[in-house]
Amino acid sequence: MIRRYFLPRPLHPYVWWLWAIGLAVMASGTTNPLLLAGIIAVVCLVTVSRCGDNPWAKGFKLYLILGAFIVLLRVAFRIVFGGGDGPTVLLHLPTVPLPSWVAGIRLLGPVSLESLLYGLYDGLRLATMIICLGAANSLVNPKRLLAALPAAMYELGTILVVSFSVFPQLGESLVRVMRVRRLRGGQTTPKSRRRRLGVVETIIVPVLSDALDRSIALAASMEVRGYGRGGQASGAERAASTLLGMGGIIVLSVWSYFLLAQPGIGPHLGRVNVLEVGLLIMGVAGIVVAMGIIGRHVQRTRYRRDRWRLPETVVLVCGLLPAYLVHLVANGPDPSVLDPSIPQHQWPVVTGPLALALLIGALPAFLTPPPVLSTSTNNEEGLS
Amino acid sequence: MIRFEDVTLRYPSSDLLRLDSATFEIEEGELCLVIGPTGSGKSTLLGCVNNLVPRFTGGTRTGRITIDGVETTTLPTRELATTVGYVGQDPLAGFVTDIVEEELAYSMEQLGVDEAEMRRRVEETLDLLGIAELRRRPLRTLSGGQQQRVAIGSVIASAPKVLVLDEPTSALDPIAAEEVLALISRLVRDLGTTVLLAEHRMERVIEFADSMLLVEPDATVHHGPVRQILRQAPIKPPLVELGVRQGWEPLPLTIREGRRLAAPQRRDWTQSPPPLPPAPTAGDPVLEATGIVVEYPGVVAVRDVDLTLHRGEVTALMGRNGCGKSSLMWAIQGAGTKSAGRVVSDRRISLVPQTASDLLYLTSVEAECRAGDAAADLAPGTTAALLRSLVPTIDMASHPRDLSEGQKIAVVLAVELVGNPDVVLLDEPTRGLDYQAKATLARIIDDMAQAGRAVLVATHDVEMAATTCHRVVVMAEGEVVSDGPARDVLASSQLLATQVSKVTSPVPLLTVEEFCNAARG
Amino acid sequence: MPRVDDRIDIPAPIVGVRLGWRSWLLIAVSSFFGLFALGWPLILPAVDVAPDHQADAPFILGAMLPLILLLVLAQITDGGLDAKALAMLGVLSAINAVIRPALGAGTAGFESVFFLLILSGRVFGPGFGYMLGHTSLFASALLTAGVGPWLPFQMMCAGWVGLAAGLLPRRVRGRAELAMLIGLGIISAYVYGLLMNLWFWPTITGIGVEGVPAGSLDYVPGAPITQNLLAFGWFTLLTSTGGWDTGRAIATTLALLILGRPLLVVLRRASGMARVTTDVAAPAR
Repeated sequence: MIRRYFLPRPLHPYVWWLWAIGLAVMASGTTNPLLLAGIIAVVCLVTVSRCGDNPWAKGFKLYLILGAFIVLLRVAFRIVFGGGDGPTVLLHLPTVPLPSWVAGIRLLGPVSLESLLYGLYDGLRLATMIICLGAANSLVNPKRLLAALPAAMYELGTILVVSFSVFPQLGESLVRVMRVRRLRGGQTTPKSRRRRLGVVETIIVPVLSDALDRSIALAASMEVRGYGRGGQASGAERAASTLLGMGGIIVLSVWSYFLLAQPGIGPHLGRVNVLEVGLLIMGVAGIVVAMGIIGRHVQRTRYRRDRWRLPETVVLVCGLLPAYLVHLVANGPDPSVLDPSIPQHQWPVVTGPLALALLIGALPAFLTPPPVLSTSTNNEEGLS
Repeated sequence: MIRFEDVTLRYPSSDLLRLDSATFEIEEGELCLVIGPTGSGKSTLLGCVNNLVPRFTGGTRTGRITIDGVETTTLPTRELATTVGYVGQDPLAGFVTDIVEEELAYSMEQLGVDEAEMRRRVEETLDLLGIAELRRRPLRTLSGGQQQRVAIGSVIASAPKVLVLDEPTSALDPIAAEEVLALISRLVRDLGTTVLLAEHRMERVIEFADSMLLVEPDATVHHGPVRQILRQAPIKPPLVELGVRQGWEPLPLTIREGRRLAAPQRRDWTQSPPPLPPAPTAGDPVLEATGIVVEYPGVVAVRDVDLTLHRGEVTALMGRNGCGKSSLMWAIQGAGTKSAGRVVSDRRISLVPQTASDLLYLTSVEAECRAGDAAADLAPGTTAALLRSLVPTIDMASHPRDLSEGQKIAVVLAVELVGNPDVVLLDEPTRGLDYQAKATLARIIDDMAQAGRAVLVATHDVEMAATTCHRVVVMAEGEVVSDGPARDVLASSQLLATQVSKVTSPVPLLTVEEFCNAARG
Repeated sequence: MPRVDDRIDIPAPIVGVRLGWRSWLLIAVSSFFGLFALGWPLILPAVDVAPDHQADAPFILGAMLPLILLLVLAQITDGGLDAKALAMLGVLSAINAVIRPALGAGTAGFESVFFLLILSGRVFGPGFGYMLGHTSLFASALLTAGVGPWLPFQMMCAGWVGLAAGLLPRRVRGRAELAMLIGLGIISAYVYGLLMNLWFWPTITGIGVEGVPAGSLDYVPGAPITQNLLAFGWFTLLTSTGGWDTGRAIATTLALLILGRPLLVVLRRASGMARVTTDVAAPAR
């Protein structure tokens, strides 16, 4: 049983995204630097243990760098553009006098601890959210993600599948053209600037022509193999999908206005604004049903579909539960633990429930089947 | 199984008739070979079977097409996906996905085959093609032959009744082509699939063919038994040509039949050997390459090769794919990497690469010619004049990419030759050329040699080497394994022997022409 | 057997994506939503409303927008996309995905060079350009692991660029055409940068809370429009308009100047290329 559960296989592509979004939501609800650092650690742990040796996993490092960059940028902004004159001034930088037409901008000036901390906390929160997304990007095979798109996205998915398979061919085509170009390049020394610029033309034009010629062959091959078979939607269905879709978008527009402008009107049920939530649900439902109608006529099946099994549910729970715990803490007796006060110099702490949330978030590193390593399949091929 | 009634077709861009009331019927389980010169409308005919022409390409078509008793004249191509499987020339360009397994499943996904059935059929197809160990490999890392087998597999996985193959081996080397053709003949024999096959390496499939379709340049179509159609065909494999010239009955289709028919002649020759045409004498050396080594990370492509090229001599460079032919040529030319060795030549060296069209980036043939003049500092029009002498029919205003393979090579050659090089290197110029285009190329090469140039041709084409080359160099694993006069190398080899020399062996005759001359005495 | 005249007459195919009135309607409505989702930090002060959720708005709206965009794309492709347009979109998206990291200093995909998108939109029409804008950025994000809440906004903006390129006056040719395309390239380079900054600005500069006064580049909810507009103006000028956006504009201009004409020829040929099958080419002698 346990053996079966832990058989190496890739998880359903959606599940890592849901887990990462759960952690990102958790991060969005706090500025506690310790908790945020904890989330980053959890995300790194899970990513490193479950991303395998796939090429798309290499992007994770870039996300970590981006996170650091965001934190630095936020702090630097505070210093350079004189953010937040708190009571505890650390550095007395001279204010650079600016001409009067640059109204409202202050360059340098005194730098306070509060201001820096504020930049650091908020930057860290944003960085954590970005790193969570980076984890999802690194854990999910983009091709499996495409394969799991809903039926209405069939054409879009196919376009992306095509560009995925063309991508490496372009590189090969480029290498070939560059190599061949040297044959002519040897004879013609670039005489003028114009001709030197023209060098780009001698590379890009053949590569592009080659790629476009291929695309016609590809289209023929797809046509021949039954791409786009199946019925067309009837007039009534089209009208319904358009109407529902449009209605959905309009309702969502109204919802987003309500959300951002917070008129606060409408009945409340506890702390929940019924009108706001109702609009969101209506809008999303309208769009989803419209897509369902569009996708109804796509009669295609999928080879080796990713299935939703127990480990998927475990990961999902491990992603959503921490966000819920943080939500509970935020509504509990001591919400300030999530946002340690800066003016009062409150020391950030991680309380029991928060530590538990981190622990749960880290569980997928141990409770999921390990990824399939490409080296192992190579060995298998070598043996057979 | 397939019935064409009075099918006539014309493309929207020209008034030229591409098919003129084609009427024929192909029985179930038949392998029908479609022949005709390039541009005669073979592809058009094949495209008509699943309505790719004119549905996809545009055009006006009249007449009626019935497949398996069902009229398919007006059906869209995709609705015919379960009936007709279609495989084109370049397998890589037709792949939708990038992994072997997924590609095999793609058509079934489109057809809505249910998951368990799909899995079963993919496994079966993998075994049928003998590529089970490649299932997870990215398609572009496969060899050409493997790619084409996957392409065939991806259409037969959905079990079509008819298989249409448009020159499936034109971009492959002989060994890969052999693999693919063996697979096709197995499909016909084991599965009873009806196959329509356009193939310019006719000699390899002729023995399996049940009938032949000849598409004439005037767009008329003839269907009939293999031997009958072959007699009236303008292009024939050397063995058949020999049979026709010698008046052999029945026409030999295989080497075995040929040897049996030639037995009396051979017996005469073993007693009194026929006079052989004298080997041409080589001129002065114009290029001496010594100790050439080409290394790529982890591979030694060329291993200490010495090569001397002589004025007026045409040398064939042969050997399987990846044996270092291209690397050697590029190293000699100077544009490619060279890890060690010396090339002594004060002459200009030109190289025509494998994919000639990579060198063509301007919008018309004329513009390319003008660029050629400018590059060589010659009077405008020199290159164009040279090109016309090579291929008089070429349309100077046309886009280089719209040219046929042979014409593209001619344009690149013209641009290269206008600089008056003394050494010309051709990297597999015969790929994708049919008999006629090859004949033109042979003439051009001959003219170059007459003009005193040294020519080195990398090729897999034994017949081409036999008719145009004076000397043959064979490479294997980066080393030269044999080097000598064409007759000695080709006639003594098992693998590189021409059809005629296989028939006459041990008498070293290479071409039909030589056989006929020798037989006349 | 009597002669049957089953005549099939198919005109020479032209590659493109047809936009029906339904698609136009959805594009318009979704663009409206998109503009609001991008521009609320300035729109709300303009109508004198103090916004809420400013810290997570980019993420919440970034979660809704993909749903809307996917619906629009599904609507456009529903019955309107033939295999040729699809293959062409796939190939061009791949090329754009190659160009993006190669020519732009991309950080999590915040950079994009539009010249091929503009040329393709010009040749293949507004529907194709709109689709290509979306698919190019989507493909590039998937290939470089750059999927995030910024992606739908980038896709939408790139879609607008492609759409605009397709809607430019058809008859203009030659130098004037190139100048027009370069103009569009420069405008879109700056507008794209501006919009992407606007999306991120309230979050990246943070929001003053708990008595800590805001920095002078920060978004201040509830402050008058002039103050926010000024702050944003300086923010965008300092962070990107002066640097990356100008770089992008120059790159796009240069690319269009050098490659514009030849690539237009290549693309135009491809747009009706099916006419010229290998068969039609004059036979070798």
